[in-house]
This record gives sequence, C-alpha cells and structure tokens, in this order.
Amino acid sequence: MATTLATKRLSKELAKITDIMPDGLTLVSATDFTSWTIDLTVLDANPLYLNQTFRLKFLFSDKYPMEPPEVVFVSLHEPPRPIPMHPHIYSNGIICLDLLGQNGWSPVQNVQSICVSLQSMLTGNSKNERPEGDTAFVATNRQRPRDINFYYHDDKV
Amino acid sequence: MPPPNTPVAHTPRSLSVDFTESLPFHNITVPPPNTPSSALDSPHHNRQYRSRAPQVVEEAVETDSSEIDESQHIDYRALTYADTVNENLICPICKVAFVDPVDTECEHTFCKECIAHALEHNDVCPFDRNPLPQPATLTRSHKIVINQLDSLLVECSSCRAHVPRSMLRNHLDRYCKEALVDCPDKGCLQQVRRKLVDQGCLHNNIACPDCEGIHQEVAMSKHREESCEERQRQCDHCGTNILRCKQTQHEEECVELIVPCIWVQYGCEHQCKRGELNLHKLECNFRLMGPMADILRKEIQTLQSDVRYLTDKEQLQERRIKFLEGGQRESHRHSNYEEWSSQALTPLADSAQVEPLSESTNEYLLNLLGDQERRISQLSSALTELEGKQTMMLFNETVPIKNQIAELQSNQQMTSMHIRWFMNWRKEDQLRLQQQQRRFGGGGGCAGGSGGASESEVDGGGSSSELATPRRSPDSLTRGLVTKL
Repeated sequence: MATTLATKRLSKELAKITDIMPDGLTLVSATDFTSWTIDLTVLDANPLYLNQTFRLKFLFSDKYPMEPPEVVFVSLHEPPRPIPMHPHIYSNGIICLDLLGQNGWSPVQNVQSICVSLQSMLTGNSKNERPEGDTAFVATNRQRPRDINFYYHDDKV
Repeated sequence: MPPPNTPVAHTPRSLSVDFTESLPFHNITVPPPNTPSSALDSPHHNRQYRSRAPQVVEEAVETDSSEIDESQHIDYRALTYADTVNENLICPICKVAFVDPVDTECEHTFCKECIAHALEHNDVCPFDRNPLPQPATLTRSHKIVINQLDSLLVECSSCRAHVPRSMLRNHLDRYCKEALVDCPDKGCLQQVRRKLVDQGCLHNNIACPDCEGIHQEVAMSKHREESCEERQRQCDHCGTNILRCKQTQHEEECVELIVPCIWVQYGCEHQCKRGELNLHKLECNFRLMGPMADILRKEIQTLQSDVRYLTDKEQLQERRIKFLEGGQRESHRHSNYEEWSSQALTPLADSAQVEPLSESTNEYLLNLLGDQERRISQLSSALTELEGKQTMMLFNETVPIKNQIAELQSNQQMTSMHIRWFMNWRKEDQLRLQQQQRRFGGGGGCAGGSGGASESEVDGGGSSSELATPRRSPDSLTRGLVTKL
C-alpha cells in the first residue's frame, strides 16, 4: 500500500516539476522513484554562492511522503558541484534542517518545497563557515542523515 | 455541477460502498479519554490506548480493501482526470483529487487514508502542525466538497470514456463494454469483457489455425494478431507480410492481385493487376457503355420490383372482388348479420370451388381474418362509444332526480317542523282553556291553590319559551303567539 502511495505521489510530483520547474532549479535525473538529483542555484546575488551550482540528491523510502526523503548535497568535479558553505551544512553534504528530520517533516511537503526551503536557507546565510565539529562529525559519522539526531541549536540562520 | 441527489440515485452500489466506507469515519472516536475503564488508569495502558487510535483507522482501510476484492477495485489515486483538477480539491499528501475527504479539527482536508497514514507517523496536522488529539476526530467533509469531487470527469480505465467520478463504479458495473465481468457460463470462473458476454463462454481451448497452438477462444483473435509465431505470411501476389487472419481483407485491396475489369459483367474480358486497372479503365472499350449500362440495370431493377408489387396487389384485389361477390350471394340467405358473419367462411369454399387452383387458401383465410378483426375493432369502438353515451345519459337524468329528491326532503322537514310546532301550540291552548275553566268555574280559595299547582305542573312539563311566563294574562300570551305566527 505504502509503496504504491509513494510511487503515485512521486509520479505526480515528477509530472508537475517536469512541466514547470521554479527558477534556480533543474531536474538532473529522475530515472526511478527511489532517487532523484536536482541542481540548485541561489537566486539573489549572495556573494558566498555567486555563480555556483549545487547538486542535491534525494533518496525516497517506501514510506514517502509519510516519512521525509533523505536529502544531501553531493560534490562533483565535472561539472563543478561544490558543497555550499553554510553553518548547517556539513562538508560531506549532510544538511541539518528540521524540515528533513522526522519531527519537522510533514507529508504536505514535497520535493519542490524542500528545494525552495534550501534555496532560502542559502539566500539568508552570510556566514562562510561549516557547522561546529564538522571535521569530527564527517570523520566519524556512519549514520544515515535521517537517523542523526540533530540538536537544532540555532534557528536564526 | 449535477443536482445533489443525482449520484446517489443512480449508483446504488457505490452508495453502499460509500456508506460502509464512511461509517467508521463519521467520528473516529475510540472511547473518550475519561471512559470509566480501569484499563485507562495506568500510564502503560494509556500508551496502548494511544497507539490504538491509528489502528482504528487502519481497520477501516482494511475493510475497504476486502470489499474491493469482491467487486472490481477502482484505484481512485490512479485515475486520469479529463481536466486539470482545481488545486483546492487536491490532497496535499497524495497530490491527487481527494478520495473520501475528511476534515481535521483545524479545518484542513485530507483523504481519509492519507491522514490515517500521516497520523501513524506523527500526531499533528500535516498542514499546520497543530497537535491533533488522539484519537483524532475526523469528520466527513462538507457535502459541497464531495459533490465537486463526484462531478469530476475521469477516464474509464477500460473503455477510455469520460464519466463523472461518482458514476465510475456504476459505469464499470453495468455499462462499460470493455469492463471484465463474470463469464456468462455459471460453471466457468473466469472473466470476460462485457461486450463478449452475449457470445457465451469463450474460455474453451481451441487450436490456432495458424500455429496449432492451443489457446482460449476469447484470446484467439488477439493471439492471431499479436503473438502467434505463424501469424504472418507473405502475400502470394505482392510479397508484403500480412497477417494470416487478415488475408481475405488484404486480398480485397492487394494491388498485385489479378482482377477482372470492372465492366466484366457487360462483356469486357480484360484482366490485369489491381494496380494497373486504372490504366485499363482509360482505354477499356466499355468505358462509355459501362456507366450507361449500370444506369439501365438499376432502372430495370426498380421497374421489376414495381411490376412485382403491382402484380401482387392486383392478385389481392382480384381475390377480394371474388370474395365480395361470393359474400353477396350468401347474404341473400342470411339477413341477420350475426348469422352471416358466423358463416362468412362459406364464400371461401364457394370461390375455391369456382377457381380452386388460382387461390391460395391460406392467404384468403388471412384476408378474411383481417376483415373480421377490423369489423370487431369497429364494433368494439362503437360499443365503447355507446357505453359512454349511456353513462352520460344516465348521469344527466339522475342529476335532476337527485335534486328533486333533495328539495322534497327539505320540504318534508319543513312541514314536519310546522306540524310539531302547531301541535305544541294546540297543547298549550288546551291547557290554557282548562286553566280558565277552573279559574272561572271552580271555588275562589282552593282555585288559587289548584291553579298554582297546575301552573307549577305546566312549568315543569313545558319546554317552549312561551311557557316560561305563566303569570302573564292569557290575552297578552295569545297576542304574542299571533305575532309569532
């Protein structure tokens, strides 16, 4: 039941975003209903992210949209796709955003709304830094992003 | 939008489904928190109780699916809508038009299945994160929402026709030609498309004439067209690959097939490939005569049919004339109509004797029968007319009689009233006379006493208003009566 719900819902979303994609977003690949990649650019002239494009990877479980998808930034050399500098984005691409956690997620959210949230998260940022303890976290973390219990200590950024 | 009662009136089956589906949802309330149950007192049980809430929802979902197994399951989330559905009618969770919409306490609408799933994960409203009490009280959405959803046009998955969503079940159950229904053969447990139901059970195995493989009859044409390994062959004439089962059709249009000239029936002996026939047409000796001959042939055909019709008619009339002549002869003997009609068959025998070979007895009989029937119908219509007249007449006559009776009755009542009054008056008169006689004839002292007694007697017995004033002088009493009269 849940599997088909996920597939149906994703096919609806896919149909919608292939039709009209919001500015700054490009669908790179969506070959199946388990993993999609989307390119994202920041719309305003934030000097931190000027002329940069970032690649997002979505992983959907059977329980989507009841459970959040796993969303990470991925880095690539060709074409250049860096991990954006942000106090809530670890250098391995893991994003600390309550929207993507079990508690912050709501089935009303969708791929497009996640992308737009991330866009605005980057737009509003002015700190060229990684989260606290980034090196240690990146070196030790073996958990999947959605299983990590982030402490949302800072809602301002 | 259709009038609010249309979907219900026309879809008895879907209605019942709706009902059972919606029933647990009118109020998904597992006992209220303060239910006097000892189980709810301990925190442990309380937790159990909380986790039970979504279960109720799940039960409802399960009963749905079991019901769906019986009849053909319609997956409302996989439907194709004819037009783009209004954003406001789309469930934010599954992103399709609401299926069984329910409202939360914070007035957000979701499919009942979607919200049930969402509440399993997190007991807040997915829309505004408003905590929803467990168990969540979900109410069925307003009728106007449901009506709008019901009237959305969807594509039937079988026949591609567009039908209102609420009618889809009915459409599939009764009308859709492509829908799968039970095989007309009761013993056969398979299904067949509705349009093939008339042809009986097609689930017997037959051998494919091309590949000799065994397939069910119902699937044979598809097999021969699509999957049979031997389905194709080369046309003997043009060499293209054609389907074996479509060979006759192909031969009617194959350009390489040798065919005779189109004027072959008028004598052209030319034969060539169909593709080259057009060239021949231009130089055929019959190219001018052909169309003319065609016209003439048609003319002759119509004339022939006319002649046939006229001969038939003439024969019929001949027969009728004979019959009438015979009838006249008979009618000399039978002046009474009824007797005549009962023996109407005799002229047949007569005419048959006169010309036994030319008449077909059956036709004659039929004619006669028709005649009789016509007469009977005439008679019956006359009879009804008469009946009508009779009733009218009867009615017309009885009404004045009734009126007269009523008048007489009232007259009689009046007279009897008069008589009664008159008799009363006479009685009083007699009494008065007696009193006077006593007063003037009897002794003075005792007369007063007896007079008083008689007065009281009169007072008790008499009921008319005149008697209420017994002490008035007789003169004035009579005067009063006279004025009354």
